[in-house]
Amino acid sequence: MKRILLPLWLCLLWLSPTLLQAQNPSRVTIKGIVRDTTEAEAAYATVMLLNPTDSTLVNFSRSDENGLFSFKNVKNTAYIFKISYIGHIPYQQHLNPSPTDINDLGMVYLKPISQELMEVVIRTAKAPLRIRGDTIEYDATTFKVPPGSTVEDLLRRLPGIEVAADGSIKAQGRDVQKVYVDGKTFFGDDPKSATKNLGAETISKVQVYDEKSEQAKLTGIDDGKKEKAMNLELKEEYKKGSFGKLTGAVGTEDRWAARGNYNRFNEKQQLSFIGYANNINETGVNWEDYGEFKGQNAFNDFDNGDFGFGYNGGGRYYSSSDNGLRNNFDGRGFTKNFGGGVNYNFDNKKTKYNASYVYNETTLDLDQLSLRETFLNDGSFTNTDTSTRLEFRGNHSIATRIEQNLDSSNLLIVKANLGFSNSNNQNRQAQYFIENNTTPTNSLLLDNGTLLDSWRLSSAAIFRHRFKKKGRSFAASAGYNNSQSDGRENIFSLNEVFTAPTRTDQIRQLNLNDNATEQFKSSLLYTEPLHKRWFLEAFYNFSHSANAVNRQVQDPELNNERITDLSVFYDFTTQFNRLGADIRYSHEGLNASAGLAGQRLDLDGRYATDRDMPLLTDPIKRTFDNAVPYLELEYEFPNNVWISADYTYNVSEPRLTDLQPIPNVNNPAFRNEGNPNLTPERSHSFSANLNYWNPASFANVGIGANFSQFDNQIIYNQTIDFVDSIGFRTTARPDNVSGGNRFNTYLWSSFPIVKTKLTMNLNGNLNAGRSPAFVNGIENETDNLGYNFNLGFSFTPSPKLILYAGGNLGFNNISYSIREDQNQKIQNHGANASAKWQFAAKTFLESNFTYSLFRNDRFDFKQEVPILNASVRHLLGPSNRFELRLAAFDIFNRRVSITQTGNQNYVVRNTASTLARYFMLSVSYNMRGYESKIKKGGWW
Amino acid sequence: MFKQTRFSLFFGALLAFVALFPENMYSQELEGDIRYLVTHNWTKKTIALDYLSKQQRERAAYMWGNRSEWKVYTTLYFTPTESKYEDSEERAEPDDEGYSWRKEAFFIKRNFAQNTLYDVFTLLGKTYIVEDSLRAPEWKILNDMKEVAGHICMNAYWEDTIKQQRITAWFALDLPVPAGPERLCGLPGLILEADYNDGAMNIAANRIQMKKLDKELDLPKKKIKGKKISEDEYATIVRKHVEEKRKAEEPWFWGMRY
Repeated sequence: MKRILLPLWLCLLWLSPTLLQAQNPSRVTIKGIVRDTTEAEAAYATVMLLNPTDSTLVNFSRSDENGLFSFKNVKNTAYIFKISYIGHIPYQQHLNPSPTDINDLGMVYLKPISQELMEVVIRTAKAPLRIRGDTIEYDATTFKVPPGSTVEDLLRRLPGIEVAADGSIKAQGRDVQKVYVDGKTFFGDDPKSATKNLGAETISKVQVYDEKSEQAKLTGIDDGKKEKAMNLELKEEYKKGSFGKLTGAVGTEDRWAARGNYNRFNEKQQLSFIGYANNINETGVNWEDYGEFKGQNAFNDFDNGDFGFGYNGGGRYYSSSDNGLRNNFDGRGFTKNFGGGVNYNFDNKKTKYNASYVYNETTLDLDQLSLRETFLNDGSFTNTDTSTRLEFRGNHSIATRIEQNLDSSNLLIVKANLGFSNSNNQNRQAQYFIENNTTPTNSLLLDNGTLLDSWRLSSAAIFRHRFKKKGRSFAASAGYNNSQSDGRENIFSLNEVFTAPTRTDQIRQLNLNDNATEQFKSSLLYTEPLHKRWFLEAFYNFSHSANAVNRQVQDPELNNERITDLSVFYDFTTQFNRLGADIRYSHEGLNASAGLAGQRLDLDGRYATDRDMPLLTDPIKRTFDNAVPYLELEYEFPNNVWISADYTYNVSEPRLTDLQPIPNVNNPAFRNEGNPNLTPERSHSFSANLNYWNPASFANVGIGANFSQFDNQIIYNQTIDFVDSIGFRTTARPDNVSGGNRFNTYLWSSFPIVKTKLTMNLNGNLNAGRSPAFVNGIENETDNLGYNFNLGFSFTPSPKLILYAGGNLGFNNISYSIREDQNQKIQNHGANASAKWQFAAKTFLESNFTYSLFRNDRFDFKQEVPILNASVRHLLGPSNRFELRLAAFDIFNRRVSITQTGNQNYVVRNTASTLARYFMLSVSYNMRGYESKIKKGGWW
Repeated sequence: MFKQTRFSLFFGALLAFVALFPENMYSQELEGDIRYLVTHNWTKKTIALDYLSKQQRERAAYMWGNRSEWKVYTTLYFTPTESKYEDSEERAEPDDEGYSWRKEAFFIKRNFAQNTLYDVFTLLGKTYIVEDSLRAPEWKILNDMKEVAGHICMNAYWEDTIKQQRITAWFALDLPVPAGPERLCGLPGLILEADYNDGAMNIAANRIQMKKLDKELDLPKKKIKGKKISEDEYATIVRKHVEEKRKAEEPWFWGMRY
C-alpha cells in the first residue's frame, strides 16, 4: 500500500507549487505613492523589499519626484516592504503574495521624526538613534555626565525627556508610568526609585516606548490606552571584573612553594597583587604572571629620552625594568626566595598612569668547584678552587610613570624609580695552585664577608610637541639620577707556600666602601620634513655626572688602623656633549638615514687617600673629541622579505674603577690595578639582517651578521710572576690596545613540513673573535671560534598530543698565539624531547627529557647530564577552577651546573651543585578556571 | 543560480532607476571621493577569534585592551555606476610620518552598470587579480539611524561566514550609489561606515568631496602582475587559510586584509 502511495505523494508535492501559481501570478509589480503626514510627496525615498524571514535585502528602488515608486516584475512572494526617508521614522509593512499582477499599495504615509531628536541625537550627539517600532532608544554612553551622577542626571540631558523637580519623568510630553531595569521592575513601582538610586555609569541604553495600560494587562482587553514606559539597560560587565590564582605545593627533600596573584580591573583601571615564596630555585615569577601583574603597562619601558642615533653617553643607570620580579635563576646552587608587589594602572585616551611597589629577596647557598688553567709563554699553572657562598639579597623598588596627552599636539611623560637594596655575602674559597700540572706551589684560603646597603633614584621627563605641519616635531627631555651605596668588606686570607720550609701568610683587612653618583642629563630633538620623502633630524645631548668613591682599608689586627697605601678617595666628574644631525629618506619600503655627530667627553678626576687629604697626583683633566658617523638602511622587498643594515661608530668612556690608581688586593693571588691614562674605547660596528616570512606556508627565516672592529679597546694586561712569599700572583691592569674584533652570524628558521602538524626548526650561529692582551709583556692574541647548531621537530598529531624532539651541537675552539699547544676544543652537545598529552578530558601528562654532554678532550673531560621531568595534572571543580598536580623533577637525580669558557690566557670550568631530584604535589585555584586543553605556541 | 538571478535583478532595478531619472537631483553631483579613516584594533581582532580559549582572549584584552589601535586612511572614488577603492598616501597616525612601508598592490574596482568587479590585492604574499561578476553580500536591513560625515545613514548587517566577521554597515539615504569601502557594496546608498566584529576594524568616512572625477577610476597604466582568479577561487583560498590557522590556534589575519 505504502509503495503505491509514495509516487502519489511525490506527484502532489510537485503539483502543489503549480497549483499555487494557478491562484497567484508568479511575477508581480508592486507600486504605490509615498506621502508624509502633511500629504506632501516624499521624493526620492528609498524603498526596499526584504525577505520576511531574516530581513535580507532582496530589491530596492527609489520614489520619483512625486513620491511614486514601483518594483516591476519581481517574484510574487511574501516581503517586508520598507521605506526610509530622511527625517522620518522608517516605514515597514508586511506584504503577502499578491493574487493579481499588480499589487498597488496606494498611499503610504510616513511619520516624521521630531526635529529635536533628529538634531540633538543624530547630529549633535552623533549617537545612533534606534527606532524599533514604537521604541526609541538612546545610547547612554554618548551623553556625558560627571562621575557619580545618577540616572536622573543622565535623563535630564536626553532630548525629548523632561525630569521635574520632584523626579517625575516625562517623555515626548507624556508622563512615564513605569521604569524597568533590564526589563524588570526595580524596587517596587515608584519609577523614581531606580532613577534616583542607580548610577549613570552603569547604564548603557535608555529605551522609551508605549505600553498597554495596567488595566489592559489585567483584563486582557486592549482599551487602546497606552502608557509611556522606560527601560534602563545595564552595561555589560565584561569590561570589569577580577581574576587570580593561588598555588600551594609541598615536596620531598623539604621542598615547598606558594604563589598567588589577584587582579581587579575595569575599563580604565587595573589593580594587581602578586606574591611568591619557595625553596625550589624560582627567584621570581614567570613571564606570563609578570605580564599580568604589570597589565597594560608591561611594555612601557622604552622611553629613555636619549634622542639621536646610537646614543652612548652617560647611560649607566639602566635599572632592570622588571624590578627583579621575574625568575632569573642561573642554574647554580640552592635558593630560598620570597617576593611580592602591588601594581596600579590607569589608562584612558588622555592619561596613562602606572605605579608599582615590589619587594623580593633571595638567599643563596652555593657550592662550586672551579678548575682554571692559566697559560704563560713558558709554562702554565692550574688553580683548583672549592668555594662555598652564602648570600642574601633583598630589594625594594617603587616605580611610577605618567604619560599625559596635554592636547592633540603635546605629550608629556614623567617617570621615576626608587630602589633600596641590601645584601650580605659570605664567601669561602679554598684554592690549590699547581705549576705545569706537576708541582704544587701553594694553597690559599679566602674568607670574605660583604655587607652592602644601597639606594638609587632615577627619573626622567620627556616632552614632545607636534607642529601643524605633518612630520615636524620637537622633543625635549631631562633626567636626574642618583645612587648611593655603603659597603663593608671583611677580608681574610691564609696563604701557605710549599717552599722548604713551608711559609704561611695571613692577611686581615676591613674595607669600608662609600660610593655616590649623581647625574643630570638632557636632550633635544627636532624633526623637519624637507620634502615628501626627506626628513632632517637634529639633536643635542648633554649629561653631567659626579662620582665620589671612598674606599678606606683598615687593619682589624692593628686596632683598625688605616692601611694608607690601599685606601683611596676619588672624585670624578664626566661631562658629555653631543650635537648631531641625520637625514632620512623614506619611500616605498625604503628607509635610509645617514648622520654625523660631534661629541666631547670631559673627564675630571682627583685622587687622594681619604676625603680632605692632599691629592696623590695632579688632577686628571682630559678631553676627548670625536666625530661620530652613522648609516642605516631598511628595505622591504615585495613578498615579505626585509633587509636592514647599519654602521655605527661607538665611543665609550672608561669605567671609573679602571681609572683609579690604587690597587685592589682583596685576594693576594690576584691584584687589580687601575690606569688613570685610559682613553675611551672606540669601535666600528656593522650589522646586517634579513627576514623572510611566508604567510601561506607559515615558513620563517632570519639571518644576520654583525662585526665590530676596535680602533681602541680596553683590555686587561696581565703580569704573572711567581712571588716566593705568595706563589703565582696575577696582576691585571687595564690598557688600550687596537686590533681586537668580534664577528657573529646567526640563522633561525621554522618550516612546516606538514602544515599545522609537523614543523621543523633549524637554528645556528657562528661567532669568532680576536682579543689581544699582553701577558708578561708578550702580546697574546686569543682567537675564539664558536659554532652551534640546533635542529628540532615539533609534531602535533592531534589537538590532545604535542611532541617535540631536537638536538644541538656546540663547539668552541680557542687558540692562544703564545701557546698553540694549549689550544682548546670545548664541546657542549645535547638532545631533548618533550611531550604534552591530554589523555583524559581533564587530565594531562607533561614530560621532558634533556641530555647534555660536556667535553674538553685536552683535559680528558667528559660529563653526561641526563635530566628527566614528568608531571600529571588534573582539573576539577566548576569551570575547572582547581588543578591538582603531581610532579617529579630530575627523576635520575643527575642535575648539576657545568660551564666551560676560555679567554685571554686561561680556560676555566665551573661545576656547581644544585637542586636535583624531588617530587612535588601542588594544588592550585584559578578564579577564571584553567584551560581544559593543551596550550599551543605562544604567538604573542 | 538563484543568487545570480536575484542580484542581476537587484542591479537591474538600480539601473532602471538610474535610467528612469536621468535628470534627477543627484545625477550631476553623485560623483566624487570619500576619505575613510580605518581604525584597526588588534586586541578586538584577537578577541573575535572564537577558536582561542576564553582565557587567552581575556588575557589579550587585559594586556592590550586600551593600547592596540592603529589608524590609516583609504579613498573611495565613486560615480553612480562605478567605484574604485584604494589605500591613501595620507598618514592618519602622526607617528608613522617619516617611515615608509612598501605599498602592496591593492585596489577594489566595481562597475555596477555592467555588474562586474576587478579587484587587485595581495593575499598571503601573492598578488591576485579577481575578475568576476559582482555578487553583493546578503545584507539584512536594520532600523537604526545615525549621522556619518554629515549624512543620515541607516544600518544593515551581514555576516561573513568565511572570515567570521559580523559587519554592520551604515549607508547614506541621500547618496544612492551601491558602493562602499573594502569589498562591501550592494546597499541602496553609499556605505559611509562599516564596523567589523564590534570595533575590531572600523571604517568611517571623514571627508566627502563631491566633484567631477577625471582619471581616478582608470586602471593603472602599468600592467599589474598577478594571478587571475575568480570570486569562488578567492573564497577557497581564504577559507583554507582560515581553517589552517584555526587548527594551529593562531590568528588568520596576518597576511591578508581583515
